[in-house]
Amino acid sequence: MSRPNLKSVKREIADAFMEESKMLWQLLANGFVNGCLFALTAFGFALIYNTTRIFHIAHGAIYTAGAYLCYVFLVKLGWNMPLAIILALTLTALLGILTELLVYAPLERRGASLLVALLSSLGLYIALVNFIAMVFGNETKVLRPGVEATFHFGPIILTRIQFAQVITACVLLPLLLLLLRLTDWGKKIRALRDNPTLTEVMGVNTRVVRLFVFALGSALAGISAVLSALDIGMDPHIGMPALLIAAVALIIGGVGTFEGPIIGAFLLCILQSLVIWQVSARWMDAVTFGLLIFFLLFRPQGLLGQRRRLEEALT
Amino acid sequence: MNYLWHILVMINIYIILALSFNLVAGYTGLLSLCHAAFYGIGAYATTLLMMKAGWGFFPSLLAAILLTGVLSLIIAVPSLRLRGDYFVLATLGFQIIVFTILYNWVSLTRGPYGIPGIPIPKVFGVEVNTVFRYFLFSGVIAGFCSLLLWMLKTSPFGRVLKAIREDEIAAAALGKNVSGLKVTAFAIAAGFAAVPGALFAGYMRYIDPTSFTLMESVFIIAIIIIGGAGNFIGPVVGAAFMVLLPEALRFLHIPDAIAANMRQIIYGLLLIILMRYRPQGLFGEYGFE
Amino acid sequence: MGNTGLNELQTWKAKEVVSVNGVTIECCNLTKTFGGLKAVDDVSVTFEAGKVTALIGPNGAGKTTLFHLISGFLRPDSGQIFYRGRRIDGLPPWRIAQMGIGRLFQDVRVFGKLSALDNVRVAFRKQSGENPLWTVVRRLKVNREEQTFTEEAKRLLQFVGLSELENALAEDLSYGQQKLLTIARLLAAGADVFLLDEPTAGVNPEMVRSLLSLIRRLAEEGKTVVVIEHNMNVVMEIADWVFFMDEGQIIAFGLPEEVLGDRAVRTAYLGI
Ligand SMILES: Nc1ncnc2c1ncn2[C@@H]1O[C@H](COP(=O)(O)OP(=O)(O)OP(=O)(O)O)[C@@H](O)[C@H]1O
Ligand SMILES: [Mg+2]
Repeated sequence: MSRPNLKSVKREIADAFMEESKMLWQLLANGFVNGCLFALTAFGFALIYNTTRIFHIAHGAIYTAGAYLCYVFLVKLGWNMPLAIILALTLTALLGILTELLVYAPLERRGASLLVALLSSLGLYIALVNFIAMVFGNETKVLRPGVEATFHFGPIILTRIQFAQVITACVLLPLLLLLLRLTDWGKKIRALRDNPTLTEVMGVNTRVVRLFVFALGSALAGISAVLSALDIGMDPHIGMPALLIAAVALIIGGVGTFEGPIIGAFLLCILQSLVIWQVSARWMDAVTFGLLIFFLLFRPQGLLGQRRRLEEALT
Repeated sequence: MNYLWHILVMINIYIILALSFNLVAGYTGLLSLCHAAFYGIGAYATTLLMMKAGWGFFPSLLAAILLTGVLSLIIAVPSLRLRGDYFVLATLGFQIIVFTILYNWVSLTRGPYGIPGIPIPKVFGVEVNTVFRYFLFSGVIAGFCSLLLWMLKTSPFGRVLKAIREDEIAAAALGKNVSGLKVTAFAIAAGFAAVPGALFAGYMRYIDPTSFTLMESVFIIAIIIIGGAGNFIGPVVGAAFMVLLPEALRFLHIPDAIAANMRQIIYGLLLIILMRYRPQGLFGEYGFE
Repeated sequence: MGNTGLNELQTWKAKEVVSVNGVTIECCNLTKTFGGLKAVDDVSVTFEAGKVTALIGPNGAGKTTLFHLISGFLRPDSGQIFYRGRRIDGLPPWRIAQMGIGRLFQDVRVFGKLSALDNVRVAFRKQSGENPLWTVVRRLKVNREEQTFTEEAKRLLQFVGLSELENALAEDLSYGQQKLLTIARLLAAGADVFLLDEPTAGVNPEMVRSLLSLIRRLAEEGKTVVVIEHNMNVVMEIADWVFFMDEGQIIAFGLPEEVLGDRAVRTAYLGI
């Protein structure tokens, strides 16, 4: 074997380096796209958690339901895409409303603890997901067969649906934040977050606001589920990871804030990309939840939240 | 006949899981989502000690109990000052991390391939090699664990845990070291969870990480909630009920394909209904309020 | 003697602390704010052994907050607290309690799902049965110990008139009964300093009488007793010394008749 000449070695290293950096860019882009998707779920989860303090695990099941409803209309019934999506989202919102009406509101009226609400939510998650699995089976379903058109941006390749995901999130999220600040409903939601009793006293019908929050939050989960399913398909268990990432994003970003979960989702997804790059996708979960525990212990108020007084417990 | 003994073995295993979890959830009022992680650590530790170090079943089990108890401190010590759902979340994180480690540390656990050929436990030189023998074996161990847990729960230790559950501020004002006691209870429960882990490994003679998932932790919670938390009879009834439910469905001739889902739908709905009308479960005394 | 102002209080402190040996609790310039609100504002007080000290003042004056600071449930923003010369601010509540500072809460805080008897039994200190290992290994010794605790607990329940209800769950008792239960519980825990936050509120008149004599007796036994009390007749009857608090500050202190006769106090508190 002849000795490799120095030049070609150099070129190989340079190529490898190019490949490596290309891959990094692509991974970062994927992280950003995922961030867009999970920011929507996380925002929906935060709407509900910030106002009701219910750890709404069933959000994950509602997410799954959103994807499957779209599947029914689009694939099973063969309706056109806009109609299918709009119907699916409407029904997902309705599912959220039903959850509040049938499960949480009665508990709230009884004055049950939040732990009880959490356990009911867990029960609802299990029942709903297994119902879906029973009807549709456990195997992966796709919404759209075939290969997606792709767009190239320098070193980054995005499919058309990924592009749609980014656009949706980048339009919806700022809009929602703005609406929360400016509109009457937004004010009511923030008032409910800050002080439920006072809000009630001031003549706001908090029950209706809660219903609204559940509808909107669930629809957001639905949007993110449908967008994700259009890209990578679905199975009955997609809801749990989505829910967990949403919850972790909220804690990292800051409970009580609405910008926090969005920032948290982007940070988390980009971090996950970096983990894939440097370590391996297999350790992604460990890193995500390690980060969660780190935040819970050392910065429970998250990045944007305000430090809650421990002493609140006394009163 | 083996079928019956098999079911009773599973009930024995779940009774220990439920009673040990009850010490944390029912007595101390800490809803932890990582009991299956301790169950798994116990199973893997026992298995690895038997297979790699060549220890017998009982020495391995003892070491596994200690190891699990000590490992539980990693999550208990820092997160016990968290309240309510933050504590639940921290334990959920720990559960997922433990699962990820069991799944990915292939050189130690063989990851998704699992560990086959686990040695059969021996008692005084006699192999526990039939289902009936395993029923007796697990029954004696479950009985012994139940006795110990019963002694703990009916003691001043159990009482002070309940007091902490009811009002930790008042307990602290009486000079009780609330966090110390909570950590102790948590570690003891974790140590006990290693026992069913070892029993499961020795019975199945094969383990893989999928037996110790988040959903298994949820299953244990469901046992406690359906049976009832905070006393002794509730968890036992819950364990029996949850193990028998799929068998009952089988007798109703529900096809296997949907029976698994059906079972979970039933316990999901039961959870919702009980939380609404009877949060202390069928026989319990504590309703997570 | 003194009626208003902090300066006077501090001169008093400088004189008295040296001369009185019986000082058990000493608070120096304690401040605690909630948001913008100064709940306790530069408060310096001392409590003496063998005396019943009353802490009075309108709602929201900061009395309970002062108790929370002393018993460690809140940390002062600034200032120090000494118990028999040892600095205790910053210690966890249970350590402070173990040192001998007992506490009655304004919101009763019984252990709802425990029986009345267990509420009292759980309170005893130094129970070897609270150690999970001993409780299994030395079951007999623990059982014997438990017997004495049970007898003592029954005696205390009888003392507060709850004998018949010893097996009832604490959450099923009336407010007044729960209050009495917490008093029995506090006596079981035993303490050197008793911080009592409105012990007579919601308790029936007969029971109030025996409570008051209990409070006096504790003081006679050499305990330090501090009572937050809204009933001025009660204050006149049992207090040896009175601190009057308003808006986080001690604005008057002295013998009961002096403080209650004080003009500033009467305007601030009684609206006269
Ligand atoms: N944890 C807390 N967070 C915020 N503010 C508090 C807290 N605890 C007390 N406060 C406020 O501090 C002030 C003093 O309260 P505190 O309970 O000490 O009053 P008090 O003198 O005991 O009154 P009362 O006679 O009604 O019991 C009040 O204005 C109260 O609203
Ligand atoms: Mg008060």
